[in-house]
Amino acid sequence: MATTTAAITLTSTDLLTDALSLSATNTLYKAGTTVGLDQTTGMARAYLTATTVVDIFPQLIEGSIAFENKSSWVYICNKSEDETEYITVKICENEIGRLYAGDYLWMPWSMRESVNANNHHGDVTVAPSVATGMWLEWTCINEGTEYPTENLVTA
Amino acid sequence: MATITAQLILNSDITDYGLSIDKTMTMSKAGATTGLNRTTGVQRVYLTDTKHIDLVKGGLANTSLADMTLSASAKIYIKYLEDDASKYVIVGFGNEADNVTATVNNGDATFFELGRLYGNEWMIIPWSGASNVGDITVQPSNATSADKAIVEYIVFFED
Repeated sequence: MATTTAAITLTSTDLLTDALSLSATNTLYKAGTTVGLDQTTGMARAYLTATTVVDIFPQLIEGSIAFENKSSWVYICNKSEDETEYITVKICENEIGRLYAGDYLWMPWSMRESVNANNHHGDVTVAPSVATGMWLEWTCINEGTEYPTENLVTA
Repeated sequence: MATITAQLILNSDITDYGLSIDKTMTMSKAGATTGLNRTTGVQRVYLTDTKHIDLVKGGLANTSLADMTLSASAKIYIKYLEDDASKYVIVGFGNEADNVTATVNNGDATFFELGRLYGNEWMIIPWSGASNVGDITVQPSNATSADKAIVEYIVFFED
């Protein structure tokens, strides 16, 4: 059984009158259990040169039975060093927020399809704000991976 | 100008080669190196039933988020305080129009589930907070008056 721990420390000495310090740590388990998550996409590092919306986990079949009520965690980091550059992160084609240079997110991902009949999958997508090239990193740690079946059709 | 940092440390033996992350972000205003300057402070919400509720609404008047600049650079941290690993809260985007079901105020009229926080799990994400994106909602799997579900959050944003 794999053991994965995630810890965060939030600090600021000058946002408030008194210093702010908040820490949390947890172990990543399979849904509803104390068994560790055991699958991952690995850490991807990509250089995106267009503002096109990109599905960053195409290998995972969103909304499939394999993921129903499963636990998945997503990390995305904008590695740009230009403070004006950002990526827009969406799920189900709806915007979560923007990651500016050096920002990251860490979130659970249900991979649920939208409840409306609009055929929106639970894809996590990113779109760079510029086409001049941005470095990104992302990974997913999960259970119950289901991979797409082979499709050799070219047209 | 305030300096707010968030350090994420992840360690795992999920592969033979390991997987680790040690990343610190300094929260800045959109497109700038100036730090975020507003916060809700740490809030703790006690839920006494399993209905959907709006945890936060971007720019909502008469709240600590009233001055929030939407579609900018806000960050939100959410934690589910629960020792039982089988219990969870669903985190989603939408709103609680009838106080029972999560309905919607995002562009395509679709509530969507982001993910589930099981006992003592936490998350940190950017948050647009714009009306066409939706409020952030939570719905606990278990909650009663005698055994409340407790959710903590803090929002950092710019005015």
